[in-house]
Amino acid sequence: MNNEMQVLFWILVFPGFVFTAVLGLLAAWIVRKVSALVQYRVGPPFLQPFWDVRKLLSKEVLIPQEANKWVFIGAPLVGLAGVLLLSTLLGVAAFWPQKTFVGDVIVAIYLMVLPSLALILGSSASASPHAAVGTAREMKLVMGYELPLVLAFIVVIIKSGGALGLAAIAETTPVASISGAVAFLVSLLCIHAKIGYVPFDMAEAETELGSGVLMEYSGGLLALWNLTSAMMLVALPMFLVVVYLGGFGTTPAGITIGLLKYVGVLVLIILIKNTNPRVRIDQAMRFFWIGCGLVLVTAIALATIGNIYDIGWL
Amino acid sequence: MNQQQLNTRISEIRDKLTAIEQKPDNRIWLSCESENAYAVNKFLFEEVPLRFVIATVIDSDDYFEVLYHYAYDEIGCMVTLKALIRDRENPAIESIAPFLPGAEWIEREMHDLMGIEFRNHPDMRRLILSDDWPVGVYPLRKDAKKPAERPDGEPSRRPTVQSQSPARRTVQLSKPVLPVGPFHPLQEEMELFQLAVDGEIVTDIDMRISYNHRGMEKIAETLQFDQVPFLVSRICGICSASHPLAYVQAVEEFAGITPPDRALYVRTIINELERIHSHILWVGLAGHFIGYDTVFMWAWKYREPVLDLLEEITGNRNNYGNVRIGGCREDIPDELKPKIIAEMDKIEKKMVMLTKAVLDDPVLHVRLKGIGILKKEDAINYCVTGPTARASGVDIDVRRDEPYAAYGVLNWNVITQPEGDVFAKAVVRLLETLEAIKIVKEALVKLPKGPVAIEVKQIPAGEGCGHAEAPRGETFHYVRSDGGNRPVRHKMRAPSYVNVPSFKASCLGGNIADVTITLASVDPCYSCTERLAVVKDRGGKVLHDYETLLKLSREKTEKIRKEIL
Amino acid sequence: MGLSTKAVKKSPWVFHVNTGACNNCDIEIVDLLTPRFDVERFGIKLVGSPRHADALLVTGGVTAQAAPRLREVYRQTPKPCVVFAIGACACGKGIFTTGYHMVGPVDKIIREIDPDAIIAYVPGCPPKPEAIISGVVKALAAI
Repeated sequence: MNNEMQVLFWILVFPGFVFTAVLGLLAAWIVRKVSALVQYRVGPPFLQPFWDVRKLLSKEVLIPQEANKWVFIGAPLVGLAGVLLLSTLLGVAAFWPQKTFVGDVIVAIYLMVLPSLALILGSSASASPHAAVGTAREMKLVMGYELPLVLAFIVVIIKSGGALGLAAIAETTPVASISGAVAFLVSLLCIHAKIGYVPFDMAEAETELGSGVLMEYSGGLLALWNLTSAMMLVALPMFLVVVYLGGFGTTPAGITIGLLKYVGVLVLIILIKNTNPRVRIDQAMRFFWIGCGLVLVTAIALATIGNIYDIGWL
Repeated sequence: MNQQQLNTRISEIRDKLTAIEQKPDNRIWLSCESENAYAVNKFLFEEVPLRFVIATVIDSDDYFEVLYHYAYDEIGCMVTLKALIRDRENPAIESIAPFLPGAEWIEREMHDLMGIEFRNHPDMRRLILSDDWPVGVYPLRKDAKKPAERPDGEPSRRPTVQSQSPARRTVQLSKPVLPVGPFHPLQEEMELFQLAVDGEIVTDIDMRISYNHRGMEKIAETLQFDQVPFLVSRICGICSASHPLAYVQAVEEFAGITPPDRALYVRTIINELERIHSHILWVGLAGHFIGYDTVFMWAWKYREPVLDLLEEITGNRNNYGNVRIGGCREDIPDELKPKIIAEMDKIEKKMVMLTKAVLDDPVLHVRLKGIGILKKEDAINYCVTGPTARASGVDIDVRRDEPYAAYGVLNWNVITQPEGDVFAKAVVRLLETLEAIKIVKEALVKLPKGPVAIEVKQIPAGEGCGHAEAPRGETFHYVRSDGGNRPVRHKMRAPSYVNVPSFKASCLGGNIADVTITLASVDPCYSCTERLAVVKDRGGKVLHDYETLLKLSREKTEKIRKEIL
Repeated sequence: MGLSTKAVKKSPWVFHVNTGACNNCDIEIVDLLTPRFDVERFGIKLVGSPRHADALLVTGGVTAQAAPRLREVYRQTPKPCVVFAIGACACGKGIFTTGYHMVGPVDKIIREIDPDAIIAYVPGCPPKPEAIISGVVKALAAI
């Protein structure tokens, strides 16, 4: 297999589109099923998210008259592309560590913003007042969680001795120290906000804004958004596993343990989702900037001290 | 003030009245000419002071009567002022809305339905009829065409956003306007709130109803007295026990009918079961509105057994159709009593847990406290009722103020809270649920033997007012009979009709995210609202302040827990 | 049966439209989501925008003010979609038949703009949640 073919395989099949989409829809099912169980319900049947996407693909696509047509159609594609590349990058780093490039972790952080940006673009193109409020909230939210996410990442870089490659970072387990654990928890919340679950779902708040940012999307375009968010359910926890929890490893045992780590992160996300009411956007901003910000500055200080004096558990 | 003092107080304005009548003891009927109505109303509302309930307009062939219903809650007395408009061609009367904001909607409605002109009304836009309803067609007049036919005439599309009256605060179109409704996941029903927003801050609010207006007052005039309860139970599905009860009490009052004791207890039990399921429903929806779906699902799970009990007693999960003039249709079988008590115990346990969870949840405190505050003055001026009033420190509850059914002989408390925010409303409802469970259990134990209804031969001519405490507040029904077998006029007022306009006082300056829960916190019911009325109260007193109430509730929780263990 | 039809049956998303109901049918519809009935078992989901919906659950006998809005919602729903008239009022105006402000019932309003619309009826006042589920299942089987 030559190089181009292999890259194509990575992107389209494994660990890219096919793998992430299937795993993502399964994860979406788990989220719905576990939420239902917490709520004393039976929950959806096993293949439900697949049928949802399949059905949406066969439905009519309505484009609002006032909408900017090309942005409206293009945005979900950009979002999907972003999460696709992200999962490919993470998967390659996890399973073919020798094939990565220096600084890929920076690229990963950029790619993580892409779906949110696409969402902002798409909804602002849809010319709906509800979507506009949703867009404003999504923008504020992105600004809110990006800062702690990057700060948390500084802790990881300090911990791993300045490594800027995913594969190198994956060999360390920052979570096994105080500062790393704090950084992990904050990142978990940031990831939660990125996926857009309660308590940080104000951009799509059904009871306040219809479906907010996605209100005007229908049919196949909505299916793309569904797929994107399902794939985020794979890519983002995977990012946490690779960066904080020591990655997947290449042996079968390592992969199994890695998968367990992934499921663990998913369970944490579901728990947070089901035990909290939605917060207001200003409360979320305060929480991310002041609360998480201060905590992380402390964590960075601890990590630096730990690095200088060679104390691993700080 | 006792009854005697109230009568003396009212007779101070004797020179402006043409008649004062008292029948029965706690109903005072005043009459005056339309020119004096403004002064008398001002006196009644501001000087006595009385709580404004609603106004009714009656088409009496050669003149119009406008009836202003007031209540004096301290002694459970209702005062009705009848103002006669003798000019049939151009009926007009001075508006009382300038000093009584709670009367704003009802005057707009009377204008829509009867064509009465209210001089100096601050905002005389169409309220209750659809945008395309022809100008000059007044459906409630006796000479209106048969209700089944659509009236013809020039359709008019009156603006719903901009007021025709420049004096009124209107939604500024230059600012972004966020429509909430007509179809909005927030509410099961249609309504249209237009929020003018500045970023996330709400700067103005305008409401448009009519989506749910079904013209029930007219339909009621075509039904026989015994059929009307089935209609009024469909004013609103969740108040489907209290509306017929208020109607039946109005008729029983002027017909001099006393239902048997057992019927009074059965009415109490059905009404309290309704309150329990309605309040649990609200808790669940409130959770849903702030994105707390787990609370939503749990609350609704706890609500199901109550519906099962209601189905077992009355034959339907909703729309019970159980109350009738002279008693009840279905009895509560004695063999069902232990089952109901057992279910109540189970629900009480769960509600105590839920109440405690809500009161102790720090996130909910942050999210709900200090949000959407309805100040006590506003609560009085907008004449709100029910938990909405009680959470603003206005201490009114028809069940205690003018005891009906068996409430007078049972042992229970009225819950009030001084803060007026969303959290206070939640606390009031949660604690009221526990009170309701207590009432049901006590009423079942004391349930007397005997028949559940008496035979009613004939409804004489007369008029009567009946009110009952629905889960959302006071429902008020006014019925007039000319001795025939159908009411000549039947006025219905649901609690949401007065609670909903108070959004103007509680929402402005809030955050969009808060507005939704603020709107939801009065538990609005639009199918009710589009029937109508208004209330006013002044001398409300605070029974408990928040600390003691929380203490009480915690002590109670502790006590119950000990009992369980 | 094509795969698309099967997909709709496996995942019917519904949007709830109240056109002047007394709230009972609406409460029973919401009740369908909650633990005792839990229609998510069948893939049924209540959505917040008509653009996401495959079926409209319409309650109420359609008041004059609501009729234009009902038409608009129907136009905004991507086809194919099924309209469910839930309750006596939606099926035939029920106790409000003589009301001056009623222009329904639902099928009349929908057929004015789309004579070929698929309409299913679930009568009752209010229909029990079991009846609504059964109605939806039967209607889906008939497609």
